[in-house]
Amino acid sequence: MLYLNSTTVYRQMSFRLTPTAGQPLYLQLMQQIRHAAETGALQDGDQLPGIRTLAEELVVSPNTVVKAYSELEHEGLLELRPGSGAFVCVKRRTQSLASHVQVARRRMRDIIDQLREDGLLDEEIRRAFEAELICSVEIVGKR
Amino acid sequence: MLWYKAWLETRARFLTLLATVTAVCGFFIYHAQGDMLPGWRLERDFDRLLLINQQILVFLWIFGVVLLGMGGIVREKAIGTSSLTLALPVSRARLVGIRVGLGIIEAIALGVVPWTAVFIVSSLAGMPILITQVGLYLLLLVGGGLVYFAAAVLVSSLVSGEYTAPCVAFGAILLPTILSDAYLPLCLNNRRLVTGSFSVDTITFLVSGHLPWLGILASLFAAVLLLWASILVVQWREF
Amino acid sequence: MTNEPAIFTHALAKSYGSAEAVRRLNLSVGRNRITAFLGRNGAGKSTTIKMLLGLIRPSSGEGTVLGKRIADPEENREMRRRVAFVAEDKPLYGYMTVEQIIRFARSFYPDWRIDVERTLLRDYDLPAHRKVATLSKGMRTKLALLLAFARRPELLILDEPSEGLDPVGIESLLQTLVSQSADGVTVFFSSHQIAEVERVADHVCILEQGCLRLDASLDSLRELYRRIDLVFAFPPPEREFQISGVERIRTKGRQMSLFVSGNAEAVTERAHNLNASSVEVAPVGLREIFLETVREN
Repeated sequence: MLYLNSTTVYRQMSFRLTPTAGQPLYLQLMQQIRHAAETGALQDGDQLPGIRTLAEELVVSPNTVVKAYSELEHEGLLELRPGSGAFVCVKRRTQSLASHVQVARRRMRDIIDQLREDGLLDEEIRRAFEAELICSVEIVGKR
Repeated sequence: MLWYKAWLETRARFLTLLATVTAVCGFFIYHAQGDMLPGWRLERDFDRLLLINQQILVFLWIFGVVLLGMGGIVREKAIGTSSLTLALPVSRARLVGIRVGLGIIEAIALGVVPWTAVFIVSSLAGMPILITQVGLYLLLLVGGGLVYFAAAVLVSSLVSGEYTAPCVAFGAILLPTILSDAYLPLCLNNRRLVTGSFSVDTITFLVSGHLPWLGILASLFAAVLLLWASILVVQWREF
Repeated sequence: MTNEPAIFTHALAKSYGSAEAVRRLNLSVGRNRITAFLGRNGAGKSTTIKMLLGLIRPSSGEGTVLGKRIADPEENREMRRRVAFVAEDKPLYGYMTVEQIIRFARSFYPDWRIDVERTLLRDYDLPAHRKVATLSKGMRTKLALLLAFARRPELLILDEPSEGLDPVGIESLLQTLVSQSADGVTVFFSSHQIAEVERVADHVCILEQGCLRLDASLDSLRELYRRIDLVFAFPPPEREFQISGVERIRTKGRQMSLFVSGNAEAVTERAHNLNASSVEVAPVGLREIFLETVREN
């Protein structure tokens, strides 16, 4: 942990991107940053690594980091200051979202535990979720 | 740094040839007295020895410049480095030009140094050698002989084998030489021009100032054409 | 920074007699990204790259690199000043020492970076005064790459850069590519290491038998390509699934496996409508996409 000045903290974050997961890498990175903000690993005012630094660390194209950071800036989670870097802005809205997500995840944990008890393997559960998500996207689209 | 690269590529060949040719010529002249034929008298016939020296030198020199003319991008393709050289921001004409430029300098040196050694050895031994004679012989050698170098360069841009290229080059030089000796009128014979046969007075064996300028110019012109053809070949080839 | 592609070809073709090495290639490589050029051996990748750099003349068609026409020797030469290229066989002059060849390369490019040269020389652990011919294969590979990486060109073209490198070397290579890209260098490289390509590339072009079979961003491939496994209680109706996006259908007994390049939702909906007893959707990695793409007739 490096203290740049008394209020900003440069956070050592560890992200893991999976090229074969069927999801664009920048989306994965965005999710992981959001998750970190929701769980408190990243707090308001923390500084994320620069684009080059993070890209080299993750061994991923800088464009991935650029896209993730700029989308998150668009969403309001990050503030990109030219020359200084990317800073986290966790607003109250995000914090309440975090609790929504936590509730949802508890629900999902219950469902998964039940499915496991019913005898489904994790891989089967995952594929079923994916299929249902795609189906429901289609249904939602029709509405 | 292309000159440096060309130098690194020809350095070993050049220095070996230079040492060998200089040693042979110097040795020949040094033992001149002992090699005099019966009936020859030193003062008058020394110039005859110089003529023989030129003939020896021409033979070795042509051999040498053919070897110096080997190499180039086509040879690099066989070795595997042509992708590196051709990716440089340098035109193919320049690549050939620099190789040829260094080769010409080396060819000239390959004539100048042995003749200088001959001059020094002769002068030290008190032989009646005139520097103008040396100069004239050199002029004949280089003026008439660069065409052989150019032929070698052209062959090396067409043939890439390490041993086939020089063989083809020697053949390409030998064949016209034999044919011109046999069929062409004497005045068109380049070999005789280079060895000084046209320019040497039959009595004094001195090279006269009336050099066969037309022949030398024709020879140089032929050299330029062959070199230009080499550039065209290299520009046209694919690597 | 212009918006024109770093590399652009239009109907570029090369034949050797009756053999067509490259056929009507329409390539467009965007700036400021990492583009991977995939293809089987003999697909025409090296031939294409050589045409771009003026080593080979196209049989027909045209192309530009950094806006300069590849078929014009003078423009091509001007462009080569701003391009760094490492050929597949990592050519080096064996008679030069490491230090000599670096000095040689440095003299041609104003974009040379001495600091990077020194860092890489140290990281790659290359002995400055050894003749190149006496280096091991791995060291020669690293030296050949150093000659390109110690520059900041506008475009970096690498033909199979990871060949001859151990896993640590490959990791270092990928980090360098990322670092170059972060500096604004457009990277265009061909590779057989699909796993590595998948990690760092933004865009991928797949060449097969001289033709471009796929030209897409990796993100879109990740979003769109899916493998859908269906099980039916009756013989699977392949005809029903000949819809757009379905690239290949394999049926074994009551199982049907579809490889789709998009439109997965429509396929799963149809599967449900046709009463499939099992519908499973899984993501597809680049290796599988590559194999399916080059196997098509």
